[in-house]
Amino acid sequence: MADVHLRHINKCFGAVEVIPDIELEIPHGSFTVLVGPSGCGKSTLLRMIAGLEKPTSGTIEIDGDDVTNFEPSARGISMVFQSYALYPHMTVAQNIDFGLRLMKMPAAEREERVKDAAKRLHLEQLLDRKPSELSGGQRQRVAIGRSIVRNPKVFLFDEPLSNLDAALRTQMRVELAELHQSIGATMVYVTHDQVEAMTLADQIVVMNGGRIEQVGPPMELYDNPQTEFVASFIGSPKMNLLPGKAIGRDDIKSVGIRPEHLETHLETGKWAARVGVIENLGSDTVVYMETDDFGHVTVRLPGHHPLRTGDRVFLTPDEKHLHLFGMDGRKILAKEPLSAPAT
Amino acid sequence: MISKVFLRNLLRVTVLCIIASFVIAPLLATALGGFKTNAEIRTSAFGLPETWNFEFYNAIVSDPAFWRYLGNSLLISIAAVILTLLVGAAAAYVFAQIRFFGSRMLFSYLLLGLMFPFATAILPLFIQVRDIGLLDSYWSVILPQTAFGLSLAILLFRTFFEQLPRELFEAAYVDGCGYIRFFWRFTLPLSTPILATVGVFVFVQSWNNFLLPLVMLNSREAFTWPLGMMQFRGEFVTEWNRTLAFVTLTIMPAIVFFLAAQKYIVAGLTGGAVKG
Ligand SMILES: Nc1ncnc2c1ncn2[C@@H]1O[C@H](COP(=O)(O)OP(=O)(O)O)[C@@H](O)[C@H]1O
Ligand SMILES: [Mg+2]
Repeated sequence: MADVHLRHINKCFGAVEVIPDIELEIPHGSFTVLVGPSGCGKSTLLRMIAGLEKPTSGTIEIDGDDVTNFEPSARGISMVFQSYALYPHMTVAQNIDFGLRLMKMPAAEREERVKDAAKRLHLEQLLDRKPSELSGGQRQRVAIGRSIVRNPKVFLFDEPLSNLDAALRTQMRVELAELHQSIGATMVYVTHDQVEAMTLADQIVVMNGGRIEQVGPPMELYDNPQTEFVASFIGSPKMNLLPGKAIGRDDIKSVGIRPEHLETHLETGKWAARVGVIENLGSDTVVYMETDDFGHVTVRLPGHHPLRTGDRVFLTPDEKHLHLFGMDGRKILAKEPLSAPAT
Repeated sequence: MISKVFLRNLLRVTVLCIIASFVIAPLLATALGGFKTNAEIRTSAFGLPETWNFEFYNAIVSDPAFWRYLGNSLLISIAAVILTLLVGAAAAYVFAQIRFFGSRMLFSYLLLGLMFPFATAILPLFIQVRDIGLLDSYWSVILPQTAFGLSLAILLFRTFFEQLPRELFEAAYVDGCGYIRFFWRFTLPLSTPILATVGVFVFVQSWNNFLLPLVMLNSREAFTWPLGMMQFRGEFVTEWNRTLAFVTLTIMPAIVFFLAAQKYIVAGLTGGAVKG
């Protein structure tokens, strides 16, 4: 049971407090994605789990053991870095083998494990090459191979796909998901890309400014964001955040409505708007509109649409899917019905 | 029509030829001088010899003293190179990897050595070496030679080591590799360009050093080749042809060493470590 517990983790670099106080539970076998804007402390948190940084205070438990003061190699973890960090003077086989060698594993078993990892990652033909002779995707696979041979309890990934081009990124995402299914080990994955988070995770941890905003499965975060930040961060295109007076409530900070929950009508509706840029994605159409009173609004319409830039339309939000946020940015429950529609 | 590129290349080759001739002409004159008679050297220093006299070269090569001088020089220079590389790299590694109290002050102190003129140190050095009791041994030359090479070596090594990607160490560290093993298995193998550069530099300096062996070495058995050359000059007062032949033969090892090290002085060895 390789679960990870972070208890009251605080981290300061000199006088700068990067992480004030984090409490997090990563269940055994989960694919947990830490997601948040750049500089919010995701890497720092991951590096503390790895043992590359020491928390200023607090404890880290892996598999029930307090590993706060353990060396990285004694924690039963392995890590894949954003830049791959392959050993440039060693062949692919030696790269994968290096950690096992240091574990003083017998040669026969080492060979078997390297072979096994190479097969799993389609690296068999490349074992004698140097990293400089590999493509970006192949290097990434070697880095993953290096981490799986050690049979770690917990896999740590720090933005492993961000150096790849878009097509390769999609492919590697699928391979990572398959890897997780076949190995079943706990994986902790850092990214700033919410699409990666949504597609890979079974548990997402949204971070902002060193704090955890919300933890939960992707669809829960999508359907039920607890803070304004999560609402705007998760989902693409982004959720529309309008001032409270858009629904006749001056006592709240904002109201959120996803682009697919806005109905467009030509004659009547709640908000009058003008059509701006139209993006045809084939399966659906994303329309950027300018409302008369509340600024920009994004609308997603299924299929193709005859709208033209400059058209005047009326928008009506689906009341079941409104998200109300109080002055502190936290979600509040809607009690009163909405005011009557305008014409 | 002659293209611009061709003209530019022509100009480049001409300039390179002129610069190369500054180096090669004296070398050639030295090597050819060993075949000439003394009278001929005086009349035509740079021309080809009228008759090729091999006797001077033969005499030197068949003299066991020459081989002893050469052997001594080689031993001292190689020892100085190995010591400088090892100690310099180890020290630079600590400066590059570990932030400790006073590291910047210590580093600056080491760099002071760059500004220290060798000649002014020679007397205190002599006294020090005498007191330790190393006088007239190989170590009396090797150790000071190493010490004076260290400042530059550490400066160059540290700069190079700091450019090795930090994630490389972290990846190895997660794999269970400590600082010392990383030094041997990663830092040194990945630093061959700078090791070769500093190695050549230290070797040539040690090989050509005259003052230090002159002060430290007394017995002919321990003499390096510059001291041996003085012996030749002493015996054959004005025999320039022998001296030139001697110098030609002693330059060879340095050139061979340079050519051997040269192929490692290439950049881009860390290609493929990070980024796509
Ligand atoms: N070694 C360090 N020294 C000082 N500040 C650091 C160090 N590492 C990270 N930080 C700071 O901590 C914050 C979080 O960094 P990081 O965890 O890398 O963010 P993320 O991975 O989410 O982009 C940043 O503001 C960064 O400047
Ligand atoms: Mg990061």
